[in-house]
Amino acid sequence: MTLFAVSVALIVLGGVAAAALPRHPVAAARWFRLLFGAGCVTGAVPALAVLGGAFVPDAHLGSAAPFGAWVFGIDPLSAVFLLVILSVGAACGFYGVTYLAHERGHRAVGAAHLVLALLVAALALVVTARAAAPFLVAWEVMAVTAYVLVVFEHERPAVRRAGMIYVVATHTGTLLLFVLFAAWAAGSGDLSFASLAAHPPFSAGRGGMIIALALVAFGLKAGMVPFHFWLPEAHAAAPAHVSALMSGVVIKMGIYGLLRAVALFGPPPPWWGWVVLALGAGSGVLGVVWALAQHDIKRLLAFHSVENIGIILLGLGAGALGMAYGHPLIAVLGFAGAALHTLNHALFKSLLFLGAGSVIHATGTRDIERLGGLARGMPVTAAAFLIGSAAIVGLPPLNGFVSEWVVYQALFRGGTTSDAMQFAVVAAAFLGLVGALALACFAKVVGVLYLGTPRDAVATVAREPARGMTGPLVGLAGACVAIGLLPIVVVPPALRVGSVVAGVPAGAVPPGDAGAGAATLFAVALTGSLLGAWALRRAFGRGQPLAGPTWACGFATSSPRMAYTASSFAAPLLGSFRSVAGVRTDRTASRFATQAIDPVLDRVILPAWRGVRAAATGLRAIHRGGLSLYLVYVMAAAVALLLYLMAAGGTP
Amino acid sequence: MTPAGWAALAIVSVAAPVTPGIVEKTKSLLTGRRGAPVLQLYADLWKLVRKGTVYSRTTTWVFRAAPLVVLASLVVATLFLPLDGRGAPVGFAGDIVAFVGLQALGRFALVLAGLDTGSSFEGMGASREVTIASFAEPALFLCFIALVLATDALSLGGMLGTPLAAAWPRAGASLSLVGICLFVLLLAENSRVPVDDPATHLELTMIHEVIVLDHSGPDLALILYGSALKLTVFAVLVVSVFVPRAGLSGPAAVAVLLAGLGVVAVAVGIVESAMARLRLSRVPQLLVGAAALALFGIILQLH
Repeated sequence: MTLFAVSVALIVLGGVAAAALPRHPVAAARWFRLLFGAGCVTGAVPALAVLGGAFVPDAHLGSAAPFGAWVFGIDPLSAVFLLVILSVGAACGFYGVTYLAHERGHRAVGAAHLVLALLVAALALVVTARAAAPFLVAWEVMAVTAYVLVVFEHERPAVRRAGMIYVVATHTGTLLLFVLFAAWAAGSGDLSFASLAAHPPFSAGRGGMIIALALVAFGLKAGMVPFHFWLPEAHAAAPAHVSALMSGVVIKMGIYGLLRAVALFGPPPPWWGWVVLALGAGSGVLGVVWALAQHDIKRLLAFHSVENIGIILLGLGAGALGMAYGHPLIAVLGFAGAALHTLNHALFKSLLFLGAGSVIHATGTRDIERLGGLARGMPVTAAAFLIGSAAIVGLPPLNGFVSEWVVYQALFRGGTTSDAMQFAVVAAAFLGLVGALALACFAKVVGVLYLGTPRDAVATVAREPARGMTGPLVGLAGACVAIGLLPIVVVPPALRVGSVVAGVPAGAVPPGDAGAGAATLFAVALTGSLLGAWALRRAFGRGQPLAGPTWACGFATSSPRMAYTASSFAAPLLGSFRSVAGVRTDRTASRFATQAIDPVLDRVILPAWRGVRAAATGLRAIHRGGLSLYLVYVMAAAVALLLYLMAAGGTP
Repeated sequence: MTPAGWAALAIVSVAAPVTPGIVEKTKSLLTGRRGAPVLQLYADLWKLVRKGTVYSRTTTWVFRAAPLVVLASLVVATLFLPLDGRGAPVGFAGDIVAFVGLQALGRFALVLAGLDTGSSFEGMGASREVTIASFAEPALFLCFIALVLATDALSLGGMLGTPLAAAWPRAGASLSLVGICLFVLLLAENSRVPVDDPATHLELTMIHEVIVLDHSGPDLALILYGSALKLTVFAVLVVSVFVPRAGLSGPAAVAVLLAGLGVVAVAVGIVESAMARLRLSRVPQLLVGAAALALFGIILQLH
């Protein structure tokens, strides 16, 4: 834990250095990179050790701290999330230095780096807190720092609107967390997680309420449907490296919360597992369908986060059902798949957001319909983005395939049981649908952004950004490939995490590595075949290949305006999902345009919000602005409380 | 994996181009033509391999890599099949996901290559390909789910191997539905009538053929061989579901498999001669219908 404390201190110091030297931007950037990077590396050491099987004792802060115990600790579940935070945090922090460099003249760039460092530190404390008070404090720091970063470009009204929606959503979640801990801890001792675990709420008959509250509160943060409405707004409004950190890491705190709650709670009731499974299938399918409709690259990627949260929830639901029905192997596999997909999604989603940031940096537009052919000017960014796309689609031999495979395995094993659990196997078909639709969506993104011909002048002049921006991309892409090629290295630690959540002793469940050894052989064989095919192709072929124009089926001229657009590409699929697809069509005699909307935000949340506001205007009558009147209200409330206590017979 | 199984792997890899040959011959005979020889594809491949290549100036390395990815993914996919009716060369719990993932990998590469040319025809084909696959892939998973329920096996080599013979008396109705669904998926995934018409002459109406319009020479040869291999792989799935062969001796099992592949190819030829292509907007309905069959196969086994 000492190393961990040093790591958090270094990260915060790095941020302070960036903010304290506004006159010396080069020195500030150097100190930020050095301290922040050193902090991330230091923190990864205990995390890796714990995932490797080492034990780290908890750290108890002095008993003088307010609101019960302050305990911090690292177990395998904390460790995997800590790795996510530090690796993606480092990539985003480094990228941000270069990405924001040209803003230095007119914005508080140093302060932005400081807030980012505080956000990373808060995230690290969220996943290591072992008591309610430090958890809630770190949670709130995380929410507020993320808000500050979202509204970095606050002069744009759309950004302020996104920030407002985000801050309302996140504080609703925080409020529910207060209720959750209050209800759970009522009657227990010191609010530490250990005493919460020792105090099973079912004895008090509140178990159902508590586990449902956890689902709503953490689901809001994770962005699962129907609580996703804030996510595309906030992630599209923030600067690219902040979007990457939010989509890759911050929303995963909701997943961490759910896993931690299950670990403390013990076997949840079966209905909870079914609800999580259904929410996972719904988030997965709806997230990817909505993503298909987007033309704004960042909103599109944000909707894919909703989809991937769905995949993670499918694993979590399978694990919860395995616990509820007494199948420890399925429980371990389900939670392991959820944890591993969390790590993998963090890697490729931050890669994709940073890649999108480089494109926006180079072209100045987020509208994919105006781009095209960027692979020529930006070959490194294009290759890294292509790897990230193949990984998020779940193609072998990349990391997305490995974690989806573990989730599938949990669901398929459900089919081999003989109780109600076997119905869960049908969820595998939903996962298949999500994968196929994600392939369609990323074929569209890669094809329209990087391949073909430029559709607009901005795309012809785009050039590769500085090394400070390509470096993090290459690093993340390398991690995606490495995990994909070596499931044998990552699956056993993931199973250890799954065992912690499922509450079974590590290694107590057969089959050792869950087939990761054979899966590694498969990944290597596939890579070998690719190289073999390449060698075979080189042996064929006469002479130098000729270059010519694309065959346009007999037409003599071809222009970029004839190239297929993203809207046309997605149109047949969106037509099949018409009622849920969230596409508004504006059709007049001379003009035809489609526009993507968010069905939940635009049709449910905002009308409901307006209803609340209309009802609240009725309350204006009692607000007259006079101090004496308000004092009367306060006295009246106190008297009413006294009367209530008298009637109830003393303090409860 | 018996010696007969390895022999079958070699035979299937080498003889894959015969399968589309049989389909074409059946069509020709049924429509009163003499038709091209069954081995025509070998001659085509040999011709293409010796030719030079033309690349469009619009394309990048993605276009050049696509044929290699298509070939490699299909070759590895054959390793998961229990060709001798017992077990497969490669297998692990949940390898059906890898099998489907390999098909998706090949498709992703081909679709990106199509988009890389910047041609609206190939873009259109790419869009149709991913649309059809979005309906075919969940249906394929429903088939595998039904097989998991029938055999309690988690690998392709297991569920189509030895345990399948024991499952037929118990779950015959369900397995028949799965077999029919797999046959429809074979037609859809391999761009056959009624989903796509490989013999059409208008680029606007094609799906698979239009994506590879710009490929030439050895690249086109790799793609054509890959298509033949994919048709054969799906035919192996159909035959394996309908004819469990674990009880036969190794060579007999392989002989039955090869005969079965011939029957499936003839059946595809008959379908192509008897039916017209569906309107594109009808294709999702066909595939959802096929998925419903597999879903019924699942419901029959849930209790």
